[in-house]
Order: sequence, then structure tokens, then C-alpha cells
Amino acid sequence: MSWLSRLRNAANSARLDRELREEMESHIENRAEALMGAGMSPEDAAREARKRMGNELLYRESSREARLFPWLESLLQDVRFGSRMLRKSAGIAMAAVLALGLAIGACTAAFSLIDTLLLRPLPVVHPERLVSLSYPSVMAGRPDGDSFSYPVFDRFRNASASVADLFATNYGPGIQAASFGGGEEEKARICWISGEAFGALDVPPALGRTLDAEDSKRRNPVAVLGYSFWQSRFGASPDVLGRWMTWNGRRFQIVGVAQKGFYGLDPGFLTDIWLPIEHLVRDAKDLANPEVYFAGVWGKLKPGAMPDRLRQVLQPVFAASRMERRRSFEHDGIPQGEMPRILNAQLKVESSANGHANIVRLQFRRPLWILGIVAGLVLLIACSNLANLFVARAEAREREMAMRAAVGAGRARLVQQMIVECGLIAAAACVVGLAFAQAAAPTLVDRLMPSTMPAYLDLQLNARVFLFVALAGLAATLLFGAIPALRASSVSPDAALKSGGRSSVRTRALRPLIAAQVGFSFVVLFVSGLLLVSFRNLMNVDLGFTKQGVILLGLDGTRLSDAASNRIAILATLDSIRRQPGVQAASMSNIELVAGPFAPLMRPFVRMPGQAGAGQGPLYLRVAPGFFDTMQIRMLSGRDFAAADLAADAPSVIVNQAFARKYFPNGNPLGQRFERGDDVGWAPQQIVGVVADAKYNSLRETPSPTVYEPLRYVGGARLAVRTAENPAAIGPLLRQAVAEANPAVRVSMMELESKKIENGILPERLLAMLAGFFVLVAAVLAAVGLYGVLSYLVVRQTREIGIRMALGAQRGTVARMVLTDMALMIALGSALGLAAGLALARYVESMLFEVKPSDWTSAALPLAALVAIAAMAALGPLARALRVDPGTALRCE
Amino acid sequence: MAKQDSLQGSLPLMVLKILGRRGPLHGYGVTAQIESMSKDVLRVEEGSLYPALHRMEEAGWIKARWVTTENKRRARLYEITAAGRKQLDEEEVRWKLVTAAVGQVLQRA
Repeated sequence: MSWLSRLRNAANSARLDRELREEMESHIENRAEALMGAGMSPEDAAREARKRMGNELLYRESSREARLFPWLESLLQDVRFGSRMLRKSAGIAMAAVLALGLAIGACTAAFSLIDTLLLRPLPVVHPERLVSLSYPSVMAGRPDGDSFSYPVFDRFRNASASVADLFATNYGPGIQAASFGGGEEEKARICWISGEAFGALDVPPALGRTLDAEDSKRRNPVAVLGYSFWQSRFGASPDVLGRWMTWNGRRFQIVGVAQKGFYGLDPGFLTDIWLPIEHLVRDAKDLANPEVYFAGVWGKLKPGAMPDRLRQVLQPVFAASRMERRRSFEHDGIPQGEMPRILNAQLKVESSANGHANIVRLQFRRPLWILGIVAGLVLLIACSNLANLFVARAEAREREMAMRAAVGAGRARLVQQMIVECGLIAAAACVVGLAFAQAAAPTLVDRLMPSTMPAYLDLQLNARVFLFVALAGLAATLLFGAIPALRASSVSPDAALKSGGRSSVRTRALRPLIAAQVGFSFVVLFVSGLLLVSFRNLMNVDLGFTKQGVILLGLDGTRLSDAASNRIAILATLDSIRRQPGVQAASMSNIELVAGPFAPLMRPFVRMPGQAGAGQGPLYLRVAPGFFDTMQIRMLSGRDFAAADLAADAPSVIVNQAFARKYFPNGNPLGQRFERGDDVGWAPQQIVGVVADAKYNSLRETPSPTVYEPLRYVGGARLAVRTAENPAAIGPLLRQAVAEANPAVRVSMMELESKKIENGILPERLLAMLAGFFVLVAAVLAAVGLYGVLSYLVVRQTREIGIRMALGAQRGTVARMVLTDMALMIALGSALGLAAGLALARYVESMLFEVKPSDWTSAALPLAALVAIAAMAALGPLARALRVDPGTALRCE
Repeated sequence: MAKQDSLQGSLPLMVLKILGRRGPLHGYGVTAQIESMSKDVLRVEEGSLYPALHRMEEAGWIKARWVTTENKRRARLYEITAAGRKQLDEEEVRWKLVTAAVGQVLQRA
């Protein structure tokens, strides 16, 4: 009976039992028929047949044992024998477990992150029926939009009632200041959601009640807490019901706590408080305003309904809403040529089973998959490493194997024993891997988001992770165990015993393994190298301004009403800040430089005199006087803004070099006039200064034509302060200075420009950090693997070397003999690795910056590293080969 | 009726021999053969045959397959394997040696 069918028996002992029963029953029937044939009555025959059978249960039991026991016993025996063999070479076993464990751990950490962030469905009933709506942006080339105005959401909801339950949610930053029972303000992540959501999602309350449709309809000021927030902030006290919280000057009564485990619709974030979305806007008037976009629309399809059906129902409503806004599109300066595209845009209904495609998920989708692939490669390196090791051990144990074969162990039995040994290593490695992943994954999560806005991922061990680890362990066992097992079992007893354990040199099988190991290592070094170089380039990129020493303060001046009070507030605030000791320069802008990929871009249309439709317009940034001085952007000609430029009708703007090059390639841009489109028509602009290029939004961009216009409203502007002082020390003074200058202006947040920029490249930073880690692991594994194989080869060839030396071979010849194979395999492996690396690089390319995979340096560095590693690994074995004394080598045979 | 114990060791030998001669048989068939050929002297508790059959199957001396008989019943047919024939040869030689030796002792004592 084969190994497999035993496994099947063990796995399916119920079936085995049924078959045994059937077999014995049919025996009894046969016997009874025979007895009846001899003249017995049916009853007597049946009784007699059963009697002759004896104790059926007992026999069935012992048959069962006969079928299951030998295999279990042989397995146990192999496990015992295997662990004894491994204990005998404990050092090697430990190293193997550690190397494999590290690799499995890296894969597992990557998997649990990918799973939690990207794959796992939302923790609600029937997540597969969840959909969300989006639409092509009005601006060509911008990402899809996913916010709707409340009236449009309302119309969607009415139109689709028979197909899906629609609800609205906001996709905001979420972290807000809230206070409870009149206490201090504290940070909490708030999600605004329409009351139907909890019913549609089927999320019951853990305490009190959840929001319902009535809350939305009546704009009830009520709040529902997240389960973990309720636990951490209120110690899970039931008294929380009926208490009041304050957000943004408005009071909400806590009416319930949501079900445990429901974190919201955003994987990566943990919602603390749910408020009815109708409170997100300042008053009921904004709810009826089709120009105010804040509602992301979600739906749960009715059973059996398809997403496309919902789309068909909603498309006419969407098209009508765009048509109604045609006038305002024209106001925004959108050319007529664009109108058909905008008006005919198709609504998109997409499955959202695994949650909202938020910033974290968009930013990290590719980096996490890259991480997974590289971790998988490291696992392959570790496996080929272990395969090498086990092939070498199998050679050394050839005599033992031959002996076992000679005393009657079948080939299958020998394979089983080798696989069991490998399995033991893999099992131990799985435990190490799990522990490593449990420690590493949270560290990785901390790197996903800025520390001010931590990501939340439920990384607790679950069945999916266990399954993954088990599969990884099994795959590893087969990968590194199969070749050595088959080779070991193919020994012919007589040959091996006769030649005293030194059979034909079977080193040939090691070659593909060395090549594979070198190949995998090359890919890891190659891809990691690209990521590291790319990150260094990003960090050292010329920004066009100096990021160090700039503190950014977020201002909230929305309470200032008219233009005059805003102008006064801007000038007074700057004046007050500049007078603080330690402040070298200060200014404001409507948004900080390099605010990140998800910051809004201001790109109005412009009309140049004498130039027809100029295509994509320049970027705009609103800045206060002193901005270029503060950011240390070079002023090339003309002048900076002055207080007078803040007047509403002043046309003064400052442009950058890219703008000058594009629009005035031959003439002097100073004093030139043009027009920009805005809500109310075309406004005149006159260039009063030209500054050097600087990055506007992202580190990766080449500076595009940019216009700086005077900042006239505080709004949510950023105050930029250049200082050499410690930010923590000077921060409170700056806040105070802002408050003193104008009580209507509030400081909402404070951070460093340099930190802000670093936060914008978190994915690249994470990848670079891990690339560095994997380079180390791959290098160590490669070195250890090559050293092991070479040492083994030298031992195997000692006799040959001895003979050659006795016959007068020079040391050079011996060295060549030892190294040629190795060099060939490294060359072959690197070539394969390069091919694989280039294929993989295409997937990585979007993460790269100013480094090309096809550059010769990209391949030269990993190659040089591998050669260096190989040289180090070869040193010891080579020295031993050269020290071989012909006499001793020959005598010991 | 002979005691079960006295058959220990000889049962596999008989089963192998019968299967070797008569081709594939199910468990009842084997029992019937032993009975008829030993003229009912060797009658065992019939159930005891099955653990023996399964042990021999495990050892690779015989192999089994499920078939449907002409009266539409499922039956498990046993067949001797190459390893089983080898085993049968060895066991038969050994059995003859042992019985001959025992015979000698009984005669001369």
C-alpha cells in the first residue's frame, strides 16, 4: 500500500471503518446463504453465521489498527530518528531553522500585512454585496472622484431602493478634537455616516443602539462609539449612554456602542466615534447645496442584485446632476471642448467587499506586494541553501542509507524518512517564523502612516495566517527536501557498501542548486539595490528650497469674514511672529510645499496674450510676503510681494523659471500681463518677479510652470517659520504669538517641513528599510550557502587533489579545479537572476526615482557584491584545498 | 475445532497459498477454501481472518480491490503480490523444515 493511501486512511478513518464493516457484513451474508443451502432456516442461518464470525467489533478494531498503525508507527519512528540525527548535528540544524525561520517569518509578516490591508473582507455580514460609487474627475488626468453632494446622494437613494440599500459616509482625514462632558479636548477619529448605514451593514449595537434612518432625517445630535474606543476611553462602562460629547462647538449625545470588531469601512483606521453625516456641514442649507461635495456613497446590494443593475439605475440620475452643474463648470473656466467628456461621464459601481480604497491602501498596494515578492525570493534562497546542505548531508549518510536499504527499507520508506527530517526543520522554522512575524508586523504597521496619524491593523494571529505559515512550511519542505530525499533513496545498497561510502562523485546535482541560489540572491540584491539607490536619490533631491529648519503651523482663520480683516490678520500675524526671538523669517502659503500626492492642486486655466489655448495651465500657489526668503527660494529678478499686493485688485504675481521658459521663451517675463480663469470670470495678472524652480507637490516631479499669487485669505493657510531653535521649545511661543496677533485665528496643528516631506515618502522609506534588511539576509544566506557547498566539494575532492599534486600539479591548477565550477555557476546564476530581476523591475519601476533598471550600474553593483561574497566564501575551502598533503590524502583511502 | 492460537503463524501461510493457487478471492471465499480443504478440521472464528488479511495487505504481500459481484454486491477481492509469492516460498520452506523437525522429535522421543 502506498504512502499516500496510508495518509488517506489516517485522514479518513471513518471511511476505513465503513469499508471494514461492509466487508465483514458481506462475509456473514455469504455464510448465511451457504448454511441455508445446506437446509437451515433463514433465522437459524443468520444466527449461526454471526456466531461463527466471533467478536466482530474486536476484529474490526484490530483490522483498523493493522491498517493505520504501521504508518503512524513508522512516522513516529522517523520523527524520533530524525530528531536524533538533527540533535547530532545541532549546530547545522539550528542554523537551518534560523535561516528558514527568518525567511518564513518575513513572508508571513508580508502576508499578514497584505491580507489585513488589502485582501481581507470587511468584518460585516455579506461583505461581498458591498459596493461604492465613483466617477471620472471633471479635470482630465486627475484620479477618479468619489464624493457626491447630499442632494445627489438623496436622489441616488430614492432611485435605487429596490436594488440596494444606499448610505453615505465621508472620506475625510478623520482625526478630530472632541471633548466629553465638558472636559479637555482630545484626539479621536470621527467618521460621519448616514443613519441607514448600520442597518445596511448589519452591524448591531454592543450597547444602547446604533444610528438609524431617523437620526439622519431629523439631524439628531447623537453619537455612537467604536467598541475599542469605548473600552480604552470609558473602561467599557455602560454609564456612557446619555453622556454628551462636543465636537466643533456642537453637542452630541452618546446613544450606543457599535459591535465589537467593527472598525469602520477603512482598513488601516479604527473609528472611535460615528456621527450622522448630516452634521458634517455647518448647517442644513449646505445639505441642500449641490456644490458641496462631502458624501461618499456606498450600498449593500439586495440579495441577487448585480452591481451593473445598480449602475443602470443610477446613471441617469448622475448624468442629470452633471447637466445641472454645467453652468458652474463653465464658470470654473473649463473649455467647451471638454464639456462632452464631462457630461457623458459614466458612473462607476465597484465592489468594496474589502473596504474603502483609502490613502494607505492606494499608497501601499504596490510596496507591499513588492515586499511580499522579495520575501518570497528570500524564502527561495533559504530553501536552495538548505537543499544544498541536505544533499551534502545525504552524501555523507550514504552508507547509512545503503545499510537501511540493504536490510529491507523500501525506497518510499527512505524518502519518507528524509522528508520527515526536513519537515522537522521546517516545523521548527515555522514556529520561529511566526514569532518573528508577530514581532515584525507591528513595526511595519508603524511605518505605514506618520506617527501623528497611526494606522490600525488587526494583526492578531488568525486562521488565515496559520494556514499561510503551514503552507509556507510545507512548500519549503518539498522545495528543499525533495531533491536530497530522492537522491538519498536512490542509493544501491551493494555499490555504496562496497566502495566504503565514497561512491562515484555525485557533485553534479549541486550545480543547479548553486546556480539557483546565486540567481535568487542576485534578484534580491538587484531589486533591493534599485530601491535603496532610489530612496537615497529622493532624500537628496534638489528641492529648490531648504526644508530643514522650517516649522509649519496650520492656521484656521475661517472665522474672519471680509477681505480687509483677513488682510490685517495676515500682516499682523507675520509681524508678531517675526518679532519672536529666534525667528529668522516667516511667511504663509495656502498649502505647504510638497504636501504629498493627495493634496489638492490648484491649476486654473490661463490666457496668454497672443497665444491660443495654452493647454494645461500652470500651477498656482498663494503666498504671503517673505515666502521666498523663508523657504530660501532664489529670487532671480524683480521683487517679492509687498503689503500693497494683498489688495483685492492688485494683479501682481511672481512666476518661476519653468513658467518663464514655457510662456516667454525669448523675452523678459517681468512686467508681462496675462489672465487667469476663476469662479467669476477672467482676472488680470502681471508678473512682478521671477524665482528659481522649486518642487511644488511631489519630490518626483520636474518643476512645472508655477505662478505665485498673493495670499489674501487666511482660511486654512500654513504659517512657515524659519528658525534655528528647537521646535519643541519655540512652538508654544509661536502659538501664543499667533493668538496675540488676532484672537480669531487658531493654530490647528504644528509640524516640521522636513518631517512632512519624509511622511510623503513613507512607502519608499519602508521599502528601502526592508530592502536593506533583505540585502543583509540574502548576502549572509548566500555566503553561508556557498561556503558550505565549496567546503563539501573540497572534502569530496581531497583524494583527486592529492593525486594531482603528487603528479606535480601546480597550486594554480588546483585552485582552478576548485573554483572553475563555482565561477561558472555564479555566472549562470547571475545571468538568470538578471533576467528575472529585469522582469520584476518593470513592476517596481513606479517606485523608483532617478535610477534605471537597465543602467549597467544597476546590475554591476549586485554582481560585484555577489563576487565579493563568493570570494569570501571561497577563501577558507580554497586554502584547505591548497594545503592538501598528497601523502596523507592518498593514505587515508 | 482447533483453537485459534494453534493457527497463529500458519494462517498467513495458508492464505498466501490459497490466493497463490486460486487467484483473487474475497474473505469468505478464503474461509470456505480453508474449511473445505482441511475437511473442517481447521475451523477458526471467522472474523479473525480479517485482521490477518489487513496486516498482510499492509506488509505488501497481498493487495485488495473493491469489485461488484454478479449479484450486485460489493466485495473486497484479495490477490497475492510478487512480494507475497516470495514470502510464500520462504514460509513454505520454513514450515516444512519446522514440521519435519517436529515430526522427527515426536517420532524419536
